[in-house]
Amino acid sequence: MATAGSETELVDVDSPDAANTAAVPAPKVGAIAGHSSAVVREAVRLGAPAAALLSSAAHDESLDWLGLLLQPILEAGFDYVSPTYLRERLDGMLNTAIVYPLTRALFGRRLRQPAGGEAALSLALARALLAQPVWRQDPTYRGSDAWLVASVLAGPFRACQAWLGRWPGSAAQAEDASHALARIVGPVFQEMERHADRWQRVEGSEPVPSVGQAGVIADGPSTVDIGALEDAFRLGLRELGEIWGLVLPPGTLLALRRAAAAPAGKARLSDALWARIIYDFAVAHSTRVIERQQLLRSMTPLYLGWVRGFVEDVRELDGEATEARVEALCGWFEREKPYAIARWRWPDSFNP
Amino acid sequence: MWQDTKRIFLDSAEHLLQAIARLLPSVLAMLLFVALSALLAVAIRGGVRRFSERLALDRRLREWGVWPMGGDPRTSPTKLLTRVSFWTVLALGVFFGLSALDSPTASAVSMRLLEYVPRLLVGIAIFAIAVGVARVVERNVLIGAVNMGMQSARLIALGARWLVVLLGAAIALDHAGVGSSVVTVAFGILFGGIVFALSLAVGLGAKDFVARSLQRRFPDAGTSEGPAEQDDARGQIHHT
Repeated sequence: MATAGSETELVDVDSPDAANTAAVPAPKVGAIAGHSSAVVREAVRLGAPAAALLSSAAHDESLDWLGLLLQPILEAGFDYVSPTYLRERLDGMLNTAIVYPLTRALFGRRLRQPAGGEAALSLALARALLAQPVWRQDPTYRGSDAWLVASVLAGPFRACQAWLGRWPGSAAQAEDASHALARIVGPVFQEMERHADRWQRVEGSEPVPSVGQAGVIADGPSTVDIGALEDAFRLGLRELGEIWGLVLPPGTLLALRRAAAAPAGKARLSDALWARIIYDFAVAHSTRVIERQQLLRSMTPLYLGWVRGFVEDVRELDGEATEARVEALCGWFEREKPYAIARWRWPDSFNP
Repeated sequence: MWQDTKRIFLDSAEHLLQAIARLLPSVLAMLLFVALSALLAVAIRGGVRRFSERLALDRRLREWGVWPMGGDPRTSPTKLLTRVSFWTVLALGVFFGLSALDSPTASAVSMRLLEYVPRLLVGIAIFAIAVGVARVVERNVLIGAVNMGMQSARLIALGARWLVVLLGAAIALDHAGVGSSVVTVAFGILFGGIVFALSLAVGLGAKDFVARSLQRRFPDAGTSEGPAEQDDARGQIHHT
């Protein structure tokens, strides 16, 4: 559960004794595979009332961040605390574009940064996680952020989020969009498949309790080259249209062609279209229309096409207005959920 | 005259019957070979079908793009494999049967065929695998090249596909023993030509990408930091 190149620490908050603190080295790439299960096992063995899976990157020392993270479990009886950080508007774009709106629409809970790579767990949750057979079945998948968050949100656990100040950053080198998509969105789609019977019964969403000061870091106007993002989208439509044709219905392809046919500097994907595209790719991931890594990597130009519009929209906005823009996107994911359910149940039926 | 005709006819009939009697055991042996090979072919066809189904071969090949999605439902990789395995075993049985005939010509032909057919089959298998791998490579290269922003992505993907096909064809022909020296020379020329064309395509299509990658990897290299570099952090999107 730690970011690449970091260590994951288990903290027994009841005992300052170093013997009750375990540190498990994280893998060099990808962060996840298996080591969080070792930490959770250790927590259960020690009988620690709360365990925190943390990145070793330097946290915001102006706050009692560890207290903020663990108090909801120790004092308010929560089972899961999602660490959430103040970030710049264009940071964690995959989370903004896909992971947050999708997780929120699926499970009906507004965890703002569900793919943060850190978590705090109660002993009851740790025991419940260890009891899940998936820990033994699939060593590359167990313990992923998406798995943990989905297990919590789909189960009877009480979740909240703690704002821990400035984002401590990642020790890992910046990832390009296609690798990040395959690494982060793949497990989310897998969770969508695992909890299909659950999320189809969820309507709307509700906020989760928060501690700490929420917000976005105020940064100046961005100078992101939206022309390059637009070019990437147009190139993708020209060259990958055949592959997308296996995934997307004709109406969506037509909307994409219309967007690409707009004059230079005007091509953009609407939020409604983007939400449908994500649901279509999730269905294709489940039905294995094409090989999963190819499928996820082929999403890149679409993702960049949506990001282009978002960057343009938030260029002059402050943090609050940017959050309102994200809120609008999430609204579309929730409104398009009946479409997701219909596609999920009848993936082969004609869908213009 | 009638007596002569009768004698000649009876002699001929006797010779014919003796020839048939001599040939009959080998014909029966041949038919037995064919019958056994038919049984074996049916068994192997069933085995291949079960093996393919266990591996989910149809789904996997469609997933990887080796087999076209949504094609004729009457054809599938499993059906093709079962048919090929059935007729191959049956054909081998017939060749074995021919070699059992007490006929030098038939035996010689069948022995030559039996010697050659396995190499031919392996050659065809190598080529078929190469064609399948080429399609997977083409799709992967296409997606990768598009994500790198290469305008000549399609050309590069096609080049990669034909490289693999050519390599497979050359190995298959070499294995089958067909025109080995000509094939080697032709393959070398074509392979070199495609690699050269791909190098040009990558070089021309991805120079910006390479420049950006180098800039990211060696940010301190080059001239002193100007306004463009200072703005670089604000001009980037952090996906994770």
